[in-house]
Amino acid sequence: MLSKKAARAFFLVGTAVCSLAMVGLTIDSFRRIPAQTHAERITPAVARGKDLWDHNNCMGCHTLLGEGAYYAPELTRVYRRRGPEFIRAMLRDPAAMYPGQRQMQNYHFNPGQIDDLVAFLQWIDGMDLNGFPPEPTLNQVALPSGAIAPSDDRPQVFNQLCVACHALGGRGGAVGPALDHVGDRLNADYLTRWLHDPQAVKPGTLMPRLPLTEPQIRELVAFLSQLRTEVRP
Amino acid sequence: MKYESQRVAWWFFATCMLLLSLQLIYGFIMGFAHAGYDNLHAIIPFHAARATHTNLLVMWLLCGFMGAAYYIIPEESESELYSPKLALVQLGALVVTGVTAIIGFHFNWWEGRKFLEIPRPLDFLVVIDVLAFIFNIGMTVKNGRRFTTTSLVLFFGLFAAALLYLPGMIPTVNQTSDSYWRWWVVHLWVEGVWELIMGGILSFLLIKLTGVDREVIEKWLYVIVGLTFLSGILGTGHHYYYIGTPRYWKWIGGLFSALEPLAFLGMAIYAVTMARKGGRNHPNRNALLWTVGCSIMSFVGAGFLGFAHTIPQVNLYTHGTLITAMHGHLAFWGAYAMIVLAIITYALPNLTGRRRHDAPSAQIAFWTSNIGMVAMTAAFAVAGITQVYLERRVGMDFIVVQREIQVHFVGLILAASLFTFGIGAFIWNFIKYGRPVGEVLPAGASDETPEEAITAGHAEGIA
Repeated sequence: MLSKKAARAFFLVGTAVCSLAMVGLTIDSFRRIPAQTHAERITPAVARGKDLWDHNNCMGCHTLLGEGAYYAPELTRVYRRRGPEFIRAMLRDPAAMYPGQRQMQNYHFNPGQIDDLVAFLQWIDGMDLNGFPPEPTLNQVALPSGAIAPSDDRPQVFNQLCVACHALGGRGGAVGPALDHVGDRLNADYLTRWLHDPQAVKPGTLMPRLPLTEPQIRELVAFLSQLRTEVRP
Repeated sequence: MKYESQRVAWWFFATCMLLLSLQLIYGFIMGFAHAGYDNLHAIIPFHAARATHTNLLVMWLLCGFMGAAYYIIPEESESELYSPKLALVQLGALVVTGVTAIIGFHFNWWEGRKFLEIPRPLDFLVVIDVLAFIFNIGMTVKNGRRFTTTSLVLFFGLFAAALLYLPGMIPTVNQTSDSYWRWWVVHLWVEGVWELIMGGILSFLLIKLTGVDREVIEKWLYVIVGLTFLSGILGTGHHYYYIGTPRYWKWIGGLFSALEPLAFLGMAIYAVTMARKGGRNHPNRNALLWTVGCSIMSFVGAGFLGFAHTIPQVNLYTHGTLITAMHGHLAFWGAYAMIVLAIITYALPNLTGRRRHDAPSAQIAFWTSNIGMVAMTAAFAVAGITQVYLERRVGMDFIVVQREIQVHFVGLILAASLFTFGIGAFIWNFIKYGRPVGEVLPAGASDETPEEAITAGHAEGIA
């Protein structure tokens, strides 16, 4: 039968071997992390962004690299999902972007700080994370049949800004109304005025005035106008 | 109680009760926010509640470990504590530091690194405070008349916990390196050296409560802490799958995490076997209930649920979802909260000199808190699995999914209310015991009543 001495030897040897292996692997990991995370892209702006990220405890609600608090969206790929314009608009006034929804605090960041945070999130977006976050593998199954406008046909600004609140073909946010067949209901002139300043058209609406350029508005109006029943059944 | 200085443990345990109550309040704030009632948003936003909730947990568990050590070490090393006065000063300093940190959280003063939110200047105070504690315990062991495996395991567990706080203070610019070191602290604490502390307390309780021969219990203690480190140290790798660290961690982390339940399974079998075969019919049945309950719940929460969620292919989808909260709640409850409540339940009659062993409130406390926590875990599981499928597999928007799962947080709040009722009963019982005025027993006397200690002898055969 196992003696106490043998049990102690098992504990000591096992612990020593595993600790040494851990130290060795840690040294090796630190040799490889810079390449895998593109450490050469850590500019002073990125470093300042990380500082802001830490000092406002963003991880206390959001997750980044899957680490955080599961109360607010995962931000690892937010730079490619929403794009810098959305992030800027969100940070300028969080309450405007998701009216009536789960709220984010307004930190009153100045434009320089917002740029730093965008730079930080852009750097995070470029990391090789061994396959995280995964592609949704069931999305084809769950899409309604005869879906309208596959995402690659849409204007980029639509995919980044509009879908945060509006759904199209069953995908997107649920803050504002779905945009399926919106071309049936609203004409190009109305849409143009609306996108310039929603409040001017319909005072009290929850939709914020978005940071859109003229070409972007033209592109969006053209896209929205052709979302009609007869065009794409 | 055999030594006058063991009394200081009571103050640590009382602090535990206070901090635990506060922790529950902050838990409710978050539960309501998730259910759609974020009414305190302007005063206590979610991230402040979250940091407070987890840091209070760490603080009361540390207080509990310290109290346990101040109770156990004098008895094990057969000498008075080196300095009871230092112990009280050190407790006071810890509480002041902790409370300052928590107030700071409400004013946006923190480091924003999950579980290690305490601002840097306060980190140093924590280190100094823990060093004072280690010094006090270490001197007691050194001056003691007896070295036991139990006290050595407990001492080195606490010592390593203090040492492992340091990697979290290494300055980094890279988010990945930052997380890497953070897990050295958090993981190597909870799935490493804290298990050593837990094993030490468990072994002390089993020796006292079951009457099984010390040599037998301590031999298996070595096997269990051996298994813990064998699996737990390289098991850190399960935090390194998807944060920008090398791919080989998927293999190493996956393999060693799969072994981690073995340590907990060992602990459960160990406690159950000793409790069944031990001949002593100790009057403090509730202490044994908490002790055995702890070993079983830690296997379910930390061992089984942890294993289910650390398989790399599963973790790819569950990483960063409410599944983590599910595992975290039952793991911390089973492994660490329950061991602290077990030692408190054991020590209270001896510290206060009142033998309220059979108080109905003590039984109610055990069962309602455990059923409540299992129900909470189930609510988190339903919410978490739904989140994984809708958000990660189907690709729905985060906020849309959160609205779909709000209803499960109503379930969570109901379960948490049951849990809180159980904790309330525990605290009520704690208060009923009163102050630590129990008499110090003469040398050679036992805390156990004589007729029940007699049967202790026949348990020697277990090996």
